[in-house]
Amino acid sequence: MGKGKRNAAIVISSSDDEDDKDFFLLKSKITSASLPRINQKKRAKRASLSNSCSSKDSIASDFGEIKRFCEEFDEGIRGFKVSTGRGMGNDLWVNKYKPGSLEELAVHKKKVEEVKVLFEERLITSEEKLCNHVLLFVGPAGVGKSATVHAIASHLGATLSEWNTPTPTIWQEHLHNSSSGLRYTSKLEEFESFVERIRKYGFISSSMSRRSQVVLLIDDLPVVNGKVAYGRLQRCLHLLVQSVCVPTVILITDYGKADSADYSMRFWEELQLSLQEAGACKVAFNPITINSLKKTLARICKEEQYETSAEQIELIAKASGGDIRHAITSLQYFCLKPKQLPSLSLSDGSSPCLSERTDEITHLYDGSSLSFGRDDTLSLFHALGKFLHNKRESETFMVSDRDAITLKEKFVRFPLKMDAPETVLRQAHGQSRPIADFLHENVLDFVSEEAIDDAWVVASYLSDADLLLTSVNGMVARNFEAENVVQSAAASVAVRGVLFGNSHPVPPRWHAIRRPKLWKVEQSLWHNKCQMLSQRCDTCNGLHLTDPSVIYTEIKPTLKWIKHRASEDFDSQETSPCHMVENIDLDGNILDDKNDMASEDEIEDW
Amino acid sequence: MLWVDKYRPKTLDKVLIHDDVAQNLKKLVTEQDCPHLLFYGPPGSGKKTLIMALLRQMFGPSADKVKVENKTWKVDAGTRTIDIELTTLLSTHHVEMNPADAGFQDRYVVQEIIKEMAKNRPLDTKGKKSFKVLVLNEVDKLSREAQHSLRRTMEKYSSSCRLILCCNSSSKVTEAVRSRCLNVRISAPTENEIVRVLEFIGKKEGLQLPPGFAARIAEKANRSLRRAILLFETCRVQQYPFTHNQAIPPMDWEEYVSEIASDIMKEQSPKRLFQVRGKLYELLTNCIPPEIILKRLLYELLKKLDSELKHEVSFWAAYYEHRMCLGQKAIFHLEAFVAKFMSIYKGFLIATFG
Amino acid sequence: MAPLLQSSQPWVEKYRPKQVKDVAHQDEVVRVLINTLETTNCPHMLFYGPPGTGKTTTALAIAHQLFGPELYKSRVLELNASDDRGINVVRTKIKDFAAVAVGSARQGGYPCPPYKIIILDEADSMTEDAQNALRRTMETYSKVTRFFFICNYVSRIIEPLASRCAKFRFKPLTEAIMSNRILHICHEEGLNLDSEALSTLSSLSQGDLRRAITYLQSAARLFGSSISSSDLISVSGVIPEEVVQALYSACRSGNFDLADKEVKNVIAEGYPVSLMLTQLFDIVVEADDVSDEQKARICKKLAEADKCLVDGADEYLQLLDVASNTIRALCNLPQEFSYEG
Repeated sequence: MGKGKRNAAIVISSSDDEDDKDFFLLKSKITSASLPRINQKKRAKRASLSNSCSSKDSIASDFGEIKRFCEEFDEGIRGFKVSTGRGMGNDLWVNKYKPGSLEELAVHKKKVEEVKVLFEERLITSEEKLCNHVLLFVGPAGVGKSATVHAIASHLGATLSEWNTPTPTIWQEHLHNSSSGLRYTSKLEEFESFVERIRKYGFISSSMSRRSQVVLLIDDLPVVNGKVAYGRLQRCLHLLVQSVCVPTVILITDYGKADSADYSMRFWEELQLSLQEAGACKVAFNPITINSLKKTLARICKEEQYETSAEQIELIAKASGGDIRHAITSLQYFCLKPKQLPSLSLSDGSSPCLSERTDEITHLYDGSSLSFGRDDTLSLFHALGKFLHNKRESETFMVSDRDAITLKEKFVRFPLKMDAPETVLRQAHGQSRPIADFLHENVLDFVSEEAIDDAWVVASYLSDADLLLTSVNGMVARNFEAENVVQSAAASVAVRGVLFGNSHPVPPRWHAIRRPKLWKVEQSLWHNKCQMLSQRCDTCNGLHLTDPSVIYTEIKPTLKWIKHRASEDFDSQETSPCHMVENIDLDGNILDDKNDMASEDEIEDW
Repeated sequence: MLWVDKYRPKTLDKVLIHDDVAQNLKKLVTEQDCPHLLFYGPPGSGKKTLIMALLRQMFGPSADKVKVENKTWKVDAGTRTIDIELTTLLSTHHVEMNPADAGFQDRYVVQEIIKEMAKNRPLDTKGKKSFKVLVLNEVDKLSREAQHSLRRTMEKYSSSCRLILCCNSSSKVTEAVRSRCLNVRISAPTENEIVRVLEFIGKKEGLQLPPGFAARIAEKANRSLRRAILLFETCRVQQYPFTHNQAIPPMDWEEYVSEIASDIMKEQSPKRLFQVRGKLYELLTNCIPPEIILKRLLYELLKKLDSELKHEVSFWAAYYEHRMCLGQKAIFHLEAFVAKFMSIYKGFLIATFG
Repeated sequence: MAPLLQSSQPWVEKYRPKQVKDVAHQDEVVRVLINTLETTNCPHMLFYGPPGTGKTTTALAIAHQLFGPELYKSRVLELNASDDRGINVVRTKIKDFAAVAVGSARQGGYPCPPYKIIILDEADSMTEDAQNALRRTMETYSKVTRFFFICNYVSRIIEPLASRCAKFRFKPLTEAIMSNRILHICHEEGLNLDSEALSTLSSLSQGDLRRAITYLQSAARLFGSSISSSDLISVSGVIPEEVVQALYSACRSGNFDLADKEVKNVIAEGYPVSLMLTQLFDIVVEADDVSDEQKARICKKLAEADKCLVDGADEYLQLLDVASNTIRALCNLPQEFSYEG
């Protein structure tokens, strides 16, 4: 068996698997260097963490009787992992400085403690009645979800098994597999059969190695597309949660920054909900705070003996947006070619706003956001900041310049103190729809209290932008060219509308840019709609179908009112008109953490 | 069961309002020559009630035995197949559905599903009725294409299938469809008619109605019978025996809108606008359709305005409602309307009071 | 089943002229076509004109007269807008049908010329792509196939197609010819129609014979054999004159609230607002005491509102806007609002 396993250790592009019938290949003890695509951090990280499978073999041979099950299981689960120590010099720092102990974790202490308690509960009572063994870790990428699991597992002395399937990643491999008779199975199918096995045979490893407890880690959920596939995955996970009886951790990376109104976001929401329903305990991970990022980065610098100033570290930490993996990678990259960072601390925005200073910062962001910025969103925030603050030249400069066309007084604006809005937009890689949403959400904060007229002008331009964006959707799909033009026109209308309309911007001060509440509203609207549609037939006793709008506006409020009354026992107290708010919050609270996070992305006024 | 359903007349003979229409319909059915029908009229005028009574008249009590089915249809749309999920109501004689629920795929629903259903010969051939009835709701929300294909279906399968269409405004139904149906306009009941119905229900429930009470409900109901009955029941739950000056509780969202209106009147500033936005979001989350919010808001605002402002405000309301149905994110346009109103009203205040 | 079918057959179908010469009012067209029938040689044809003027009837009649009932099925392909007529159908179905060659065996007294006919009803709703694809097909198979296009708006047929066809314009029917037809049907169906009802019917249908017949049949179904003018109005869905007048005079009064009340009433009564706009338009245009400038202002708004309604805007708000605009125009209030921001 050991031999088979070793043969299965396959380098993706190689072709020696003459006798290998297992599809679940064991990817063991391969140095990260031999794996192609080192830049896929996850893959590399795992590989370097993988232990040799000899220990597993010995365990398995002790239990000849259940060997078959073990085989099955081992195939499904990649080798036990034990955190390795510091690696070689040319290792990625991300792997090299993988936290080995709880103390090294950059995750907040309280969170670690909380998770540890959860683990202990599950490990100790794993054979007893504790009805669910599943923890659901949710959080953005790179906030240390898996690191926490690894660290805690090793701290508690439990072994970590991970489900992982190397499906053919590159075309040649796929061809090779199919020529050697292996049928292509999608990752989703494999996951399904894995769950099926778990359910049938239980989790064998736990019964065979009582001394070292096992934690099952499911990272890397199959990527699925389309409603049907989502449904399958959801069913599958649901089953898993209900049936598994060893501590299991499911990691879900949520990409909260993306436009959350689209379908896949809703799906992940639903998935989480359904897992929680099935008894999984959800633990939300927030982005790592700047301070602990800085601490970790400083530690690494010290160990690597690189000189980096506190400012540089801070810059990197800030640019990473709470993603520690990214921060470390940036640091390594930065240390490769040590050039002087623009030595600028970001946090003193109180100084007067001079034009050369603005240039400098623009330069910083144009140039270095590529190397430090985690993604576009951050620079998007800065672009938004520019638009919202609406910096313009002072009056005197303006008057002399105007000779060609005389505009009416109320249409005259001073020149902008920035590049053309379109240029800024391009630098920020902003998508039109989110930009319009962000502007809509935030612009009112920047309009001076007296200027309701301005507020209207802005609102009307945003409404124009919405019309343009809608016409994009209606357009024939093949007409990409036109679509792009309309998209950028819409963004331009929104941005310029905001710039033009806000003729009396508030004096500069601190503002947080909020994530559009609209997205949350749309999501919960969608939830509520589905819910009501499903109840539609109850409300009218199934005799006929009522128009949805009638249900929302008439029947539902009445029913609620009547029920409310009944529960209050005919209390003659006047009901508050706002009791309708209650059911919004039910849906809303999932999003709250994300929301808080977004508001931390403060931009300052420079 | 709500009174709205409990006291829904089951047969054409028991219909309290629109009895003239009911009699005509009865005549139609007994003559065995039932054309396609198009019912149109404002909400709460009794279209559905008439349709159900008509079905019962056609098929007897078995028309009431319905079951709800959530069916997924596989539709071949040229290059690919798409799944369409629709809730339908089935009895042996009729099928009811909201084709507009399928959204932009409504065309396929009409073309394929209805064709398929119409082709299916009626199950029950021993009776006299040899056709099936298809009740389609919200036809006015169907796209042009869907309405076009509807018309073909009507012609092609007219021997085995009768369509009953139901919509709020007939101007959104294409001429082609309208001209192939017998159009039945159902006007909203007058206040007197509403009072009559309320008194009827009151009697059945054994309630004492103070004089003028029903009239007050009727006035509040805005000529919607459904609204009136719902209000009546709410009042009953709120307080009984009725007192003649008992407050009639409004729908919660309407009260909320009027709160928004007074907020707007009190202060006109970006900050207030932002607060209003939050409230609008709340309404939207509760699935109140944005055009209804806008209409209600206009109603509340008009109540409080000087007549010289009314023209301007109603102009902008129409303007932004139009954009709302062209656009995607209703809040952008709703808010633009509120901002515009604030701006107008502030200008008015300054001009009037300096 | 059979009797049911009989009675429910639309009169439009029942009284559709079976012969080209019976087609009412389209004299030149009929003359040319009868000539065609005699020589059995016909070009591609394009019939256009307002609805209900006999375009489809003519096309069908020609086809029937050329081939007779037996060959009709195999020689004539009828397609209208509700059949899917995307480019794929043109490429496959139409092409397949067009490609088959046929002989000219004379059968049962019908000329049976050696070609097939494809009738494309409502051709103006075809996509441009499909029309372009048709162009090739027409040329390739012109030996064995003739195309009849029928449409309301000739401008929506792409030029290359239109230029390949003989164009026939169908005129709206005059009142006299329509009354003639209607009376004929009344006679056949045993209906009683007084002269007032007759004139109402022809004014309601505005030269559209199909609409007139449909109204007549609906009224006959609902109200029995004697039909009055008010029955026809209620069936046609036309808004009674009083209602329109009430709204108009409310606008004249200059009182916004009064107008608002009337608008609400119109909505509650369920009258279609687009129709209301048309009828309001008629009143305004004919009004003597309204200046041209005022009329222009009102009509501009009517047009805008109509467009908004087509886009799906709310009926109440649009009509209210129209009413408010009418008030301001009639009272000579300035066009601009006073508190514009």
